[in-house]
Amino acid sequence: MRSRPLWRLAVHAILVLAALIMVVPLLWIVLTAFKERNEVFALVPQWLPAHPTFINFIGVLDAMPFWRYYWNTIVVAFGLLAIQLVTITLAAYAFARMEFWGRDVLFILLLVQLMIAPQSTVIQNYITLTGLGLLDTRLGIMAPYLASAFGTFLLRQTFKTIPKELEEAASLDGCGGLRFLAHVAIPLALPGYLAFALVSLTYHWNEFFWPLVITETNKARTLTLGLGIFAQTAEGTADWTMLMAATLMVIAVPLMFFLVFQRRFINSFMQSGLGG
Amino acid sequence: MKRIVEPKVPARILLETGAMDVRLRAKTWRRALSLARPYLYLLPTFFFLFIFTHYPILKTFYMALFKWNLATPKKQFVGLNNYIQAYSTPLFWEVLGNNVLFAVGTVPITLALALALALLINQKIRGLAIYRALLFYPTMVPMAAAAMIWLWILTPNYGLLNYYGRWVGLPDIHWLGHNRLAIWALVLVGVWKRVGYYMVIYLAGLQVIPEHLYEAAIIEGAGPWHRFWRVTFPLISPTTFFVATMAVIDSFQAIDQVYLMTGGGPGNATNLFIFYIYQNAFRFFDFGYASAVSAVLFLILLALTVLAFRTLHRRVHYA
Repeated sequence: MRSRPLWRLAVHAILVLAALIMVVPLLWIVLTAFKERNEVFALVPQWLPAHPTFINFIGVLDAMPFWRYYWNTIVVAFGLLAIQLVTITLAAYAFARMEFWGRDVLFILLLVQLMIAPQSTVIQNYITLTGLGLLDTRLGIMAPYLASAFGTFLLRQTFKTIPKELEEAASLDGCGGLRFLAHVAIPLALPGYLAFALVSLTYHWNEFFWPLVITETNKARTLTLGLGIFAQTAEGTADWTMLMAATLMVIAVPLMFFLVFQRRFINSFMQSGLGG
Repeated sequence: MKRIVEPKVPARILLETGAMDVRLRAKTWRRALSLARPYLYLLPTFFFLFIFTHYPILKTFYMALFKWNLATPKKQFVGLNNYIQAYSTPLFWEVLGNNVLFAVGTVPITLALALALALLINQKIRGLAIYRALLFYPTMVPMAAAAMIWLWILTPNYGLLNYYGRWVGLPDIHWLGHNRLAIWALVLVGVWKRVGYYMVIYLAGLQVIPEHLYEAAIIEGAGPWHRFWRVTFPLISPTTFFVATMAVIDSFQAIDQVYLMTGGGPGNATNLFIFYIYQNAFRFFDFGYASAVSAVLFLILLALTVLAFRTLHRRVHYA
Protein backbone atom coordinates (compact mmCIF):
# COMPACT_ATOMS: atom_id res chain seq x y z
CA MET A 1 0.00 0.00 0.00
CA ARG A 2 1.18 3.46 -0.85
CA SER A 3 0.92 6.46 1.44
CA ARG A 4 -2.19 5.61 3.42
CA PRO A 5 -2.88 9.01 5.00
CA LEU A 6 -2.83 10.66 1.59
CA TRP A 7 -5.25 8.10 0.19
CA ARG A 8 -7.55 8.63 3.16
CA LEU A 9 -7.47 12.36 2.63
CA ALA A 10 -8.39 11.91 -1.02
CA VAL A 11 -11.30 9.66 -0.11
CA HIS A 12 -12.60 12.22 2.35
CA ALA A 13 -12.16 15.03 -0.14
CA ILE A 14 -14.20 13.22 -2.78
CA LEU A 15 -16.91 12.23 -0.32
CA VAL A 16 -17.17 15.73 1.09
CA LEU A 17 -17.54 17.10 -2.42
CA ALA A 18 -20.19 14.52 -3.32
CA ALA A 19 -22.09 15.10 -0.10
CA LEU A 20 -21.92 18.84 -0.68
CA ILE A 21 -23.40 18.51 -4.16
CA MET A 22 -26.21 16.39 -2.78
CA VAL A 23 -26.92 18.73 0.10
CA VAL A 24 -26.74 22.07 -1.70
CA PRO A 25 -30.29 21.82 -3.11
CA LEU A 26 -31.68 21.18 0.37
CA LEU A 27 -29.65 23.99 1.86
CA TRP A 28 -30.75 26.30 -0.91
CA ILE A 29 -34.47 25.76 -0.30
CA VAL A 30 -34.08 26.17 3.45
CA LEU A 31 -32.30 29.47 2.96
CA THR A 32 -34.70 30.65 0.26
CA ALA A 33 -37.69 29.87 2.46
CA PHE A 34 -36.52 32.45 5.00
CA LYS A 35 -35.87 35.22 2.49
CA GLU A 36 -38.04 38.12 1.53
CA ARG A 37 -39.71 37.77 -1.80
CA ASN A 38 -37.64 40.23 -3.82
CA GLU A 39 -34.30 39.01 -2.56
CA VAL A 40 -34.34 35.98 -4.85
CA PHE A 41 -34.26 37.99 -8.07
CA ALA A 42 -30.70 39.17 -7.45
CA LEU A 43 -28.45 38.27 -10.37
CA VAL A 44 -25.72 37.25 -7.95
CA PRO A 45 -27.30 34.69 -5.63
CA GLN A 46 -27.15 35.68 -1.98
CA TRP A 47 -26.85 32.59 0.20
CA LEU A 48 -27.93 34.00 3.50
CA PRO A 49 -31.25 35.81 3.85
CA ALA A 50 -30.66 39.51 4.48
CA HIS A 51 -33.67 39.80 6.77
CA PRO A 52 -34.71 36.29 7.89
CA THR A 53 -38.48 36.12 8.00
CA PHE A 54 -41.29 33.66 8.66
CA ILE A 55 -43.65 35.49 6.39
CA ASN A 56 -43.48 32.82 3.69
CA PHE A 57 -44.60 30.08 6.03
CA ILE A 58 -47.53 32.16 7.21
CA GLY A 59 -48.32 32.94 3.59
CA VAL A 60 -48.39 29.23 2.73
CA LEU A 61 -50.85 28.53 5.54
CA ASP A 62 -53.10 31.26 4.14
CA ALA A 63 -52.74 30.21 0.52
CA MET A 64 -53.52 26.52 0.83
CA PRO A 65 -55.35 24.18 3.21
CA PHE A 66 -52.03 22.91 4.51
CA TRP A 67 -53.30 21.21 7.68
CA ARG A 68 -56.05 19.43 5.78
CA TYR A 69 -53.43 18.06 3.38
CA TYR A 70 -51.32 17.06 6.34
CA TRP A 71 -54.16 15.27 8.06
CA ASN A 72 -55.12 13.48 4.83
CA THR A 73 -51.53 12.34 4.38
CA ILE A 74 -51.34 11.02 7.93
CA VAL A 75 -54.64 9.17 7.56
CA VAL A 76 -53.65 7.67 4.21
CA ALA A 77 -50.12 6.63 5.20
CA PHE A 78 -50.87 5.27 8.67
CA GLY A 79 -54.34 3.94 7.93
CA LEU A 80 -52.98 2.07 4.96
CA LEU A 81 -50.11 0.72 7.03
CA ALA A 82 -52.54 -0.54 9.69
CA ILE A 83 -54.58 -2.49 7.13
CA GLN A 84 -51.47 -3.72 5.34
CA LEU A 85 -50.06 -5.10 8.60
CA VAL A 86 -53.13 -7.31 8.96
CA THR A 87 -53.22 -8.52 5.35
CA ILE A 88 -49.50 -9.20 5.07
CA THR A 89 -49.26 -10.94 8.45
CA LEU A 90 -51.99 -13.44 7.65
CA ALA A 91 -50.81 -14.08 4.11
CA ALA A 92 -47.13 -14.33 5.05
CA TYR A 93 -47.93 -16.75 7.84
CA ALA A 94 -49.92 -18.99 5.51
CA PHE A 95 -47.19 -18.95 2.85
CA ALA A 96 -44.37 -19.49 5.33
CA ARG A 97 -45.75 -22.17 7.62
CA MET A 98 -48.65 -24.01 6.06
CA GLU A 99 -48.95 -26.74 3.49
CA PHE A 100 -51.89 -26.42 1.19
CA TRP A 101 -53.02 -27.15 -2.30
CA GLY A 102 -52.12 -24.45 -4.86
CA ARG A 103 -49.58 -22.69 -2.66
CA ASP A 104 -46.95 -22.16 -5.34
CA VAL A 105 -49.42 -20.89 -7.91
CA LEU A 106 -50.93 -18.47 -5.42
CA PHE A 107 -47.46 -17.26 -4.47
CA ILE A 108 -46.68 -16.44 -8.09
CA LEU A 109 -50.02 -14.66 -8.39
CA LEU A 110 -48.94 -12.60 -5.40
CA LEU A 111 -45.56 -11.78 -6.91
CA VAL A 112 -47.33 -10.40 -9.99
CA GLN A 113 -47.91 -7.27 -7.93
CA LEU A 114 -44.15 -6.83 -7.53
CA MET A 115 -43.56 -7.42 -11.20
CA ILE A 116 -45.89 -4.83 -12.63
CA ALA A 117 -45.68 -1.08 -12.51
CA PRO A 118 -48.59 0.29 -10.47
CA GLN A 119 -48.83 3.07 -13.05
CA SER A 120 -49.90 0.68 -15.78
CA THR A 121 -53.10 -0.21 -13.90
CA VAL A 122 -54.04 3.36 -13.06
CA ILE A 123 -56.77 3.74 -15.68
CA GLN A 124 -58.59 0.57 -14.67
CA ASN A 125 -58.31 1.27 -10.97
CA TYR A 126 -59.67 4.74 -11.59
CA ILE A 127 -62.71 3.24 -13.32
CA THR A 128 -63.20 0.56 -10.64
CA LEU A 129 -62.97 3.01 -7.76
CA THR A 130 -65.27 5.50 -9.47
CA GLY A 131 -67.77 2.65 -9.79
CA LEU A 132 -67.41 1.91 -6.06
CA GLY A 133 -68.05 5.57 -5.23
CA LEU A 134 -64.52 6.00 -3.88
CA LEU A 135 -63.41 8.73 -6.26
CA ASP A 136 -62.02 11.68 -4.32
CA THR A 137 -61.77 9.80 -1.02
CA ARG A 138 -58.83 8.83 1.16
CA LEU A 139 -59.91 5.21 0.99
CA GLY A 140 -59.66 5.48 -2.79
CA ILE A 141 -56.04 6.61 -2.47
CA MET A 142 -55.29 3.62 -0.24
CA ALA A 143 -57.26 0.99 -2.13
CA PRO A 144 -54.72 -0.30 -4.69
CA TYR A 145 -52.16 -0.88 -1.95
CA LEU A 146 -54.23 -2.71 0.67
CA ALA A 147 -52.51 -5.97 -0.24
CA SER A 148 -48.73 -5.80 -0.38
CA ALA A 149 -46.65 -8.40 -2.15
CA PHE A 150 -43.46 -6.77 -0.89
CA GLY A 151 -44.61 -6.87 2.73
CA THR A 152 -45.86 -10.45 2.44
CA PHE A 153 -42.60 -11.51 0.83
CA LEU A 154 -40.49 -9.81 3.49
CA LEU A 155 -42.45 -11.27 6.41
CA ARG A 156 -42.60 -14.71 4.87
CA GLN A 157 -38.80 -14.80 4.90
CA THR A 158 -38.81 -13.95 8.60
CA PHE A 159 -41.58 -16.37 9.56
CA LYS A 160 -39.77 -19.17 7.75
CA THR A 161 -36.80 -18.87 10.09
CA ILE A 162 -38.88 -19.72 13.18
CA PRO A 163 -38.00 -23.34 14.05
CA LYS A 164 -40.75 -25.91 13.59
CA GLU A 165 -40.06 -27.35 17.07
CA LEU A 166 -40.97 -24.03 18.64
CA GLU A 167 -44.35 -24.13 16.97
CA GLU A 168 -44.92 -27.74 18.02
CA ALA A 169 -43.98 -27.01 21.60
CA ALA A 170 -46.24 -23.98 21.69
CA SER A 171 -49.04 -26.00 20.16
CA LEU A 172 -48.73 -28.65 22.92
CA ASP A 173 -49.06 -25.88 25.47
CA GLY A 174 -52.31 -24.87 23.84
CA CYS A 175 -50.78 -21.94 22.01
CA GLY A 176 -51.51 -22.86 18.42
CA GLY A 177 -52.81 -21.07 15.35
CA LEU A 178 -53.59 -17.40 15.79
CA ARG A 179 -52.31 -17.39 19.36
CA PHE A 180 -48.92 -18.68 18.23
CA LEU A 181 -48.91 -15.97 15.61
CA ALA A 182 -49.74 -13.26 18.14
CA HIS A 183 -47.47 -14.40 20.98
CA VAL A 184 -44.48 -15.93 19.21
CA ALA A 185 -44.27 -15.27 15.48
CA ILE A 186 -45.09 -11.55 15.41
CA PRO A 187 -42.74 -10.59 18.28
CA LEU A 188 -39.94 -12.53 16.59
CA ALA A 189 -40.57 -10.73 13.30
CA LEU A 190 -40.56 -7.18 14.67
CA PRO A 191 -37.47 -6.06 12.69
CA GLY A 192 -39.18 -7.17 9.49
CA TYR A 193 -42.30 -5.24 10.45
CA LEU A 194 -40.26 -2.14 11.15
CA ALA A 195 -38.52 -2.35 7.78
CA PHE A 196 -41.81 -2.73 5.99
CA ALA A 197 -43.43 0.09 7.96
CA LEU A 198 -40.67 2.57 7.13
CA VAL A 199 -40.70 1.77 3.42
CA SER A 200 -44.49 1.83 3.21
CA LEU A 201 -44.86 5.09 5.13
CA THR A 202 -42.19 6.81 3.05
CA TYR A 203 -43.64 5.59 -0.23
CA HIS A 204 -47.17 6.71 0.53
CA TRP A 205 -46.16 9.95 2.19
CA ASN A 206 -44.31 10.82 -1.00
CA GLU A 207 -46.64 9.44 -3.61
CA PHE A 208 -47.91 11.91 -6.17
CA PHE A 209 -49.31 10.37 -9.32
CA TRP A 210 -52.02 8.05 -8.02
CA PRO A 211 -53.50 10.63 -5.60
CA LEU A 212 -53.46 13.08 -8.51
CA VAL A 213 -55.58 10.75 -10.61
CA ILE A 214 -58.04 9.66 -7.94
CA THR A 215 -58.78 13.03 -6.29
CA GLU A 216 -60.75 15.95 -7.64
CA THR A 217 -61.01 18.36 -4.74
CA ASN A 218 -59.03 19.26 -1.63
CA LYS A 219 -61.24 16.93 0.39
CA ALA A 220 -58.86 13.97 0.13
CA ARG A 221 -55.70 15.47 -1.38
CA THR A 222 -52.37 14.73 0.24
CA LEU A 223 -49.35 16.95 0.88
CA THR A 224 -47.31 16.29 -2.23
CA LEU A 225 -50.37 16.84 -4.37
CA GLY A 226 -51.21 20.05 -2.56
CA LEU A 227 -47.64 21.19 -3.14
CA GLY A 228 -47.94 20.45 -6.85
CA ILE A 229 -51.19 22.40 -7.17
CA PHE A 230 -49.77 25.27 -5.19
CA ALA A 231 -46.72 25.27 -7.44
CA GLN A 232 -48.76 25.67 -10.55
CA THR A 233 -50.20 28.89 -9.22
CA ALA A 234 -46.97 30.08 -7.57
CA GLU A 235 -44.65 29.32 -10.47
CA GLY A 236 -46.54 31.67 -12.76
CA THR A 237 -46.01 34.50 -10.34
CA ALA A 238 -42.40 33.48 -9.60
CA ASP A 239 -43.21 33.32 -5.92
CA TRP A 240 -40.14 31.27 -5.13
CA THR A 241 -39.82 32.07 -1.45
CA MET A 242 -43.36 30.88 -0.75
CA LEU A 243 -42.90 27.81 -2.91
CA MET A 244 -39.70 26.85 -1.10
CA ALA A 245 -41.36 27.44 2.26
CA ALA A 246 -44.18 25.11 1.22
CA THR A 247 -41.69 22.50 0.00
CA LEU A 248 -39.79 22.71 3.26
CA MET A 249 -43.02 22.28 5.24
CA VAL A 250 -43.84 19.14 3.27
CA ILE A 251 -40.47 17.44 3.72
CA ALA A 252 -39.38 18.69 7.16
CA VAL A 253 -40.91 16.07 9.46
CA PRO A 254 -40.02 12.95 7.42
CA LEU A 255 -36.49 14.26 6.89
CA MET A 256 -36.06 14.86 10.59
CA PHE A 257 -37.16 11.32 11.33
CA PHE A 258 -34.69 10.12 8.73
CA LEU A 259 -31.80 12.03 10.25
CA VAL A 260 -32.53 10.62 13.70
CA PHE A 261 -33.14 7.03 12.63
CA GLN A 262 -31.03 7.03 9.48
CA ARG A 263 -29.48 3.62 10.04
CA ARG A 264 -32.88 1.96 10.38
CA PHE A 265 -34.24 3.76 7.35
CA ILE A 266 -31.28 2.85 5.17
CA ASN A 267 -31.36 -0.80 6.25
CA SER A 268 -35.07 -0.96 5.49
CA PHE A 269 -34.59 0.45 2.02
CA MET A 270 -31.75 -1.98 1.43
CA GLN A 271 -34.22 -4.79 2.04
CA SER A 272 -36.76 -3.18 -0.25
CA GLY A 273 -34.22 -3.35 -3.05
CA LEU A 274 -33.60 -7.01 -2.43
CA GLY A 275 -37.29 -7.77 -2.15
CA GLY A 276 -38.09 -6.13 -5.45
CA MET B 1 -52.58 -31.93 18.01
CA LYS B 2 -54.39 -32.52 21.23
CA ARG B 3 -55.77 -36.03 21.63
CA ILE B 4 -59.41 -36.16 22.42
CA VAL B 5 -59.92 -38.28 25.51
CA GLU B 6 -62.79 -40.68 24.97
CA PRO B 7 -65.18 -40.84 27.92
CA LYS B 8 -66.14 -44.31 29.03
CA VAL B 9 -69.73 -44.28 27.91
CA PRO B 10 -71.09 -47.14 25.77
CA ALA B 11 -71.52 -46.14 22.18
CA ARG B 12 -75.14 -47.24 22.22
CA ILE B 13 -76.08 -44.62 24.80
CA LEU B 14 -74.20 -41.94 22.87
CA LEU B 15 -76.02 -42.87 19.71
CA GLU B 16 -79.37 -42.84 21.41
CA THR B 17 -78.81 -39.43 22.97
CA GLY B 18 -77.37 -38.00 19.80
CA ALA B 19 -74.15 -36.97 21.60
CA MET B 20 -72.06 -39.08 19.23
CA ASP B 21 -73.54 -37.18 16.39
CA VAL B 22 -72.57 -33.84 17.88
CA ARG B 23 -69.04 -34.96 18.61
CA LEU B 24 -68.64 -36.34 15.13
CA ARG B 25 -69.90 -33.14 13.65
CA ALA B 26 -67.51 -31.09 15.78
CA LYS B 27 -64.66 -33.27 14.57
CA THR B 28 -65.61 -32.84 10.92
CA TRP B 29 -65.92 -29.13 11.50
CA ARG B 30 -62.47 -28.92 13.00
CA ARG B 31 -61.00 -30.88 10.12
CA ALA B 32 -62.71 -28.66 7.58
CA LEU B 33 -61.51 -25.58 9.40
CA SER B 34 -57.92 -26.74 9.47
CA LEU B 35 -58.11 -27.45 5.76
CA ALA B 36 -59.63 -24.06 5.07
CA ARG B 37 -57.38 -22.14 7.44
CA PRO B 38 -54.60 -21.25 4.97
CA TYR B 39 -57.16 -20.02 2.48
CA LEU B 40 -58.88 -17.95 5.14
CA TYR B 41 -55.54 -16.36 5.98
CA LEU B 42 -54.94 -15.57 2.33
CA LEU B 43 -58.44 -14.27 1.70
CA PRO B 44 -57.92 -10.56 2.57
CA THR B 45 -54.74 -10.29 0.53
CA PHE B 46 -56.12 -12.05 -2.50
CA PHE B 47 -59.42 -10.21 -2.32
CA PHE B 48 -57.61 -6.87 -2.75
CA LEU B 49 -55.00 -8.31 -5.05
CA PHE B 50 -57.62 -9.56 -7.42
CA ILE B 51 -59.65 -6.34 -7.54
CA PHE B 52 -56.73 -3.92 -7.79
CA THR B 53 -53.99 -5.91 -9.52
CA HIS B 54 -55.13 -8.97 -11.46
CA TYR B 55 -58.44 -7.67 -12.71
CA PRO B 56 -57.07 -4.31 -13.93
CA ILE B 57 -54.27 -6.05 -15.85
CA LEU B 58 -56.70 -8.30 -17.69
CA LYS B 59 -59.18 -5.48 -18.16
CA THR B 60 -56.51 -3.21 -19.66
CA PHE B 61 -55.82 -5.71 -22.41
CA TYR B 62 -59.56 -6.14 -22.94
CA MET B 63 -60.28 -2.41 -23.06
CA ALA B 64 -57.47 -1.88 -25.51
CA LEU B 65 -59.70 -3.63 -28.06
CA PHE B 66 -62.40 -0.97 -27.84
CA LYS B 67 -62.89 2.50 -29.10
CA TRP B 68 -64.02 4.51 -26.09
CA ASN B 69 -63.53 8.25 -26.06
CA LEU B 70 -65.43 11.52 -26.01
CA ALA B 71 -66.55 11.07 -29.61
CA THR B 72 -67.61 7.47 -28.94
CA PRO B 73 -69.00 7.40 -25.42
CA LYS B 74 -70.46 3.95 -26.04
CA LYS B 75 -67.72 1.33 -26.25
CA GLN B 76 -67.25 -0.02 -29.73
CA PHE B 77 -65.18 -3.09 -30.55
CA VAL B 78 -62.34 -2.22 -32.93
CA GLY B 79 -59.97 -5.18 -32.59
CA LEU B 80 -56.33 -4.18 -32.76
CA ASN B 81 -57.08 -0.73 -34.12
CA ASN B 82 -55.78 1.09 -31.05
CA TYR B 83 -52.42 -0.67 -31.37
CA ILE B 84 -52.31 0.18 -35.06
CA GLN B 85 -53.12 3.76 -34.19
CA ALA B 86 -50.19 3.85 -31.75
CA TYR B 87 -47.92 2.28 -34.34
CA SER B 88 -48.81 4.92 -36.91
CA THR B 89 -48.72 7.89 -34.52
CA PRO B 90 -45.36 9.70 -34.69
CA LEU B 91 -45.89 11.04 -31.17
CA PHE B 92 -46.03 7.50 -29.78
CA TRP B 93 -42.59 6.82 -31.22
CA GLU B 94 -41.31 10.17 -30.04
CA VAL B 95 -42.47 9.35 -26.51
CA LEU B 96 -40.84 5.93 -26.69
CA GLY B 97 -37.64 7.55 -27.98
CA ASN B 98 -37.72 10.15 -25.21
CA ASN B 99 -38.12 7.46 -22.61
CA VAL B 100 -35.28 5.38 -24.02
CA LEU B 101 -33.09 8.49 -24.08
CA PHE B 102 -34.11 9.28 -20.51
CA ALA B 103 -33.20 5.73 -19.43
CA VAL B 104 -29.91 5.73 -21.35
CA GLY B 105 -29.08 9.11 -19.82
CA THR B 106 -30.04 8.28 -16.26
CA VAL B 107 -29.11 4.66 -15.67
CA PRO B 108 -25.38 4.45 -16.54
CA ILE B 109 -24.53 7.73 -14.80
CA THR B 110 -26.52 6.84 -11.70
CA LEU B 111 -25.03 3.36 -11.50
CA ALA B 112 -21.45 4.45 -12.09
CA LEU B 113 -21.72 7.16 -9.45
CA ALA B 114 -23.54 4.83 -7.05
CA LEU B 115 -20.84 2.18 -7.38
CA ALA B 116 -18.01 4.69 -7.03
CA LEU B 117 -19.58 6.15 -3.89
CA ALA B 118 -20.28 2.71 -2.47
CA LEU B 119 -16.64 1.72 -2.97
CA LEU B 120 -15.44 4.87 -1.24
CA ILE B 121 -17.84 4.44 1.66
CA ASN B 122 -17.15 0.72 2.02
CA GLN B 123 -13.82 1.46 3.68
CA LYS B 124 -13.32 1.87 7.36
CA ILE B 125 -13.35 5.63 7.37
CA ARG B 126 -14.46 8.12 9.93
CA GLY B 127 -17.82 9.85 9.48
CA LEU B 128 -19.18 7.01 7.39
CA ALA B 129 -22.71 7.30 8.80
CA ILE B 130 -22.81 11.02 8.05
CA TYR B 131 -21.65 10.61 4.46
CA ARG B 132 -24.10 7.81 3.90
CA ALA B 133 -27.01 9.81 5.31
CA LEU B 134 -26.16 12.90 3.25
CA LEU B 135 -25.88 10.87 0.06
CA PHE B 136 -29.02 8.87 0.77
CA TYR B 137 -31.46 11.53 1.95
CA PRO B 138 -32.85 12.45 -1.52
CA THR B 139 -34.46 9.00 -1.53
CA MET B 140 -36.62 10.24 1.33
CA VAL B 141 -37.63 13.45 -0.43
CA PRO B 142 -40.85 13.18 -2.43
CA MET B 143 -40.28 13.53 -6.17
CA ALA B 144 -42.82 16.36 -6.11
CA ALA B 145 -40.65 18.27 -3.64
CA ALA B 146 -37.49 17.43 -5.58
CA ALA B 147 -39.18 18.82 -8.68
CA MET B 148 -39.86 22.11 -6.86
CA ILE B 149 -36.27 22.37 -5.67
CA TRP B 150 -34.85 21.80 -9.12
CA LEU B 151 -37.37 24.08 -10.82
CA TRP B 152 -35.98 26.80 -8.64
CA ILE B 153 -32.33 25.86 -9.21
CA LEU B 154 -32.84 25.58 -12.98
CA THR B 155 -34.72 28.87 -13.33
CA PRO B 156 -33.31 31.08 -16.09
CA ASN B 157 -31.47 34.30 -15.21
CA TYR B 158 -31.37 34.14 -11.43
CA GLY B 159 -31.31 30.36 -10.95
CA LEU B 160 -28.44 28.82 -9.03
CA LEU B 161 -27.26 26.55 -11.83
CA ASN B 162 -27.01 29.33 -14.37
CA TYR B 163 -25.03 31.47 -11.96
CA TYR B 164 -22.44 28.84 -11.12
CA GLY B 165 -22.61 27.50 -14.65
CA ARG B 166 -21.21 30.83 -15.80
CA TRP B 167 -18.09 30.08 -13.74
CA VAL B 168 -17.34 27.06 -15.88
CA GLY B 169 -18.32 28.82 -19.06
CA LEU B 170 -21.86 27.54 -19.56
CA PRO B 171 -24.15 29.97 -21.35
CA ASP B 172 -27.26 31.32 -19.66
CA ILE B 173 -29.79 28.67 -20.55
CA HIS B 174 -33.48 28.20 -19.91
CA TRP B 175 -32.85 24.51 -19.28
CA LEU B 176 -36.43 23.38 -19.06
CA GLY B 177 -37.51 25.43 -22.06
CA HIS B 178 -34.82 24.06 -24.33
CA ASN B 179 -35.83 21.49 -26.92
CA ARG B 180 -32.85 19.20 -26.50
CA LEU B 181 -31.63 20.06 -23.00
CA ALA B 182 -34.92 19.80 -21.10
CA ILE B 183 -34.73 16.04 -20.92
CA TRP B 184 -31.19 16.27 -19.54
CA ALA B 185 -32.50 18.51 -16.78
CA LEU B 186 -34.88 15.68 -15.90
CA VAL B 187 -31.95 13.26 -16.03
CA LEU B 188 -30.08 15.47 -13.58
CA VAL B 189 -33.00 15.36 -11.13
CA GLY B 190 -33.31 11.62 -11.59
CA VAL B 191 -29.64 11.02 -10.84
CA TRP B 192 -29.71 13.26 -7.79
CA LYS B 193 -32.80 11.52 -6.45
CA ARG B 194 -31.72 7.91 -7.01
CA VAL B 195 -27.95 7.71 -6.69
CA GLY B 196 -28.00 7.33 -2.90
CA TYR B 197 -30.50 4.50 -3.06
CA TYR B 198 -28.51 2.50 -5.55
CA MET B 199 -25.35 3.23 -3.59
CA VAL B 200 -26.94 1.53 -0.60
CA ILE B 201 -27.93 -1.51 -2.69
CA TYR B 202 -24.34 -1.68 -3.95
CA LEU B 203 -23.07 -1.47 -0.38
CA ALA B 204 -25.15 -4.52 0.48
CA GLY B 205 -23.59 -6.30 -2.50
CA LEU B 206 -20.04 -5.27 -1.58
CA GLN B 207 -20.38 -6.42 1.99
CA VAL B 208 -20.96 -10.05 1.03
CA ILE B 209 -17.73 -10.31 -0.97
CA PRO B 210 -15.46 -12.49 1.20
CA GLU B 211 -12.51 -10.63 2.66
CA HIS B 212 -10.08 -13.50 1.92
CA LEU B 213 -10.40 -12.92 -1.81
CA TYR B 214 -8.88 -9.47 -1.37
CA GLU B 215 -6.18 -10.84 0.92
CA ALA B 216 -5.29 -13.42 -1.70
CA ALA B 217 -5.19 -10.73 -4.38
CA ILE B 218 -2.88 -8.61 -2.27
CA ILE B 219 -0.54 -11.57 -1.75
CA GLU B 220 -0.51 -12.05 -5.51
CA GLY B 221 0.62 -8.43 -5.71
CA ALA B 222 -2.53 -6.97 -7.23
CA GLY B 223 -2.90 -3.21 -6.84
CA PRO B 224 -6.19 -1.45 -6.12
CA TRP B 225 -6.97 -1.12 -9.83
CA HIS B 226 -6.53 -4.82 -10.44
CA ARG B 227 -8.36 -5.76 -7.30
CA PHE B 228 -11.37 -3.76 -8.49
CA TRP B 229 -11.49 -5.22 -12.00
CA ARG B 230 -10.54 -8.79 -11.08
CA VAL B 231 -12.36 -9.26 -7.77
CA THR B 232 -14.93 -6.60 -7.00
CA PHE B 233 -16.35 -5.98 -10.43
CA PRO B 234 -17.04 -9.60 -11.41
CA LEU B 235 -18.49 -10.40 -8.02
CA ILE B 236 -20.90 -7.49 -8.00
CA SER B 237 -21.86 -7.80 -11.65
CA PRO B 238 -25.06 -9.68 -10.77
CA THR B 239 -25.94 -6.75 -8.47
CA THR B 240 -25.16 -4.37 -11.30
CA PHE B 241 -27.35 -6.21 -13.72
CA PHE B 242 -30.19 -6.40 -11.24
CA VAL B 243 -29.89 -2.75 -10.24
CA ALA B 244 -29.62 -1.68 -13.88
CA THR B 245 -32.85 -3.45 -14.73
CA MET B 246 -34.61 -1.93 -11.75
CA ALA B 247 -33.31 1.49 -12.76
CA VAL B 248 -34.52 1.11 -16.34
CA ILE B 249 -37.95 0.08 -15.06
CA ASP B 250 -37.84 3.10 -12.78
CA SER B 251 -37.16 5.41 -15.66
CA PHE B 252 -40.16 4.03 -17.53
CA GLN B 253 -42.29 4.92 -14.52
CA ALA B 254 -41.13 8.52 -14.27
CA ILE B 255 -44.08 10.91 -14.23
CA ASP B 256 -44.04 13.27 -11.23
CA GLN B 257 -41.10 15.33 -12.46
CA VAL B 258 -42.51 15.48 -15.99
CA TYR B 259 -45.91 16.59 -14.75
CA LEU B 260 -44.50 19.22 -12.40
CA MET B 261 -41.40 20.49 -14.19
CA THR B 262 -42.08 20.48 -17.92
CA GLY B 263 -45.61 19.27 -18.57
CA GLY B 264 -44.05 17.14 -21.28
CA GLY B 265 -42.70 20.20 -23.11
CA PRO B 266 -41.29 22.11 -24.78
CA GLY B 267 -43.39 20.62 -27.55
CA ASN B 268 -43.27 16.99 -26.59
CA ALA B 269 -39.53 16.89 -25.89
CA THR B 270 -39.97 15.52 -22.37
CA ASN B 271 -43.18 13.59 -22.86
CA LEU B 272 -42.52 10.19 -21.26
CA PHE B 273 -44.62 7.03 -21.34
CA ILE B 274 -46.74 7.43 -18.20
CA PHE B 275 -47.34 11.08 -18.92
CA TYR B 276 -48.50 10.18 -22.42
CA ILE B 277 -50.92 7.62 -20.97
CA TYR B 278 -52.12 10.16 -18.43
CA GLN B 279 -52.73 12.76 -21.14
CA ASN B 280 -54.69 10.39 -23.32
CA ALA B 281 -56.79 9.00 -20.48
CA PHE B 282 -57.45 11.99 -18.28
CA ARG B 283 -57.06 14.99 -20.56
CA PHE B 284 -58.33 13.68 -23.91
CA PHE B 285 -60.54 11.00 -22.29
CA ASP B 286 -59.50 8.43 -24.87
CA PHE B 287 -59.63 5.41 -22.58
CA GLY B 288 -59.38 2.82 -25.33
CA TYR B 289 -56.21 4.23 -26.82
CA ALA B 290 -54.69 4.93 -23.40
CA SER B 291 -55.35 1.30 -22.46
CA ALA B 292 -53.53 0.06 -25.54
CA VAL B 293 -50.50 2.22 -24.69
CA SER B 294 -50.70 0.93 -21.09
CA ALA B 295 -50.72 -2.61 -22.41
CA VAL B 296 -47.58 -1.93 -24.46
CA LEU B 297 -45.86 -0.41 -21.43
CA PHE B 298 -46.99 -3.34 -19.32
CA LEU B 299 -45.35 -5.79 -21.71
CA ILE B 300 -42.10 -3.79 -21.86
CA LEU B 301 -41.88 -3.63 -18.08
CA LEU B 302 -42.86 -7.26 -17.64
CA ALA B 303 -40.03 -8.34 -19.93
CA LEU B 304 -37.58 -6.20 -17.97
CA THR B 305 -38.83 -7.44 -14.61
CA VAL B 306 -38.65 -11.09 -15.57
CA LEU B 307 -35.06 -10.36 -16.54
CA ALA B 308 -34.39 -8.75 -13.17
CA PHE B 309 -35.96 -11.59 -11.22
CA ARG B 310 -33.89 -14.15 -13.05
CA THR B 311 -30.76 -12.20 -12.24
CA LEU B 312 -31.78 -11.98 -8.62
CA HIS B 313 -32.10 -15.73 -8.68
CA ARG B 314 -28.63 -16.12 -10.05
CA ARG B 315 -27.31 -13.76 -7.44
CA VAL B 316 -28.73 -15.96 -4.71
CA HIS B 317 -26.74 -18.86 -6.14
CA TYR B 318 -23.59 -16.77 -6.08
CA ALA B 319 -23.75 -15.85 -2.44
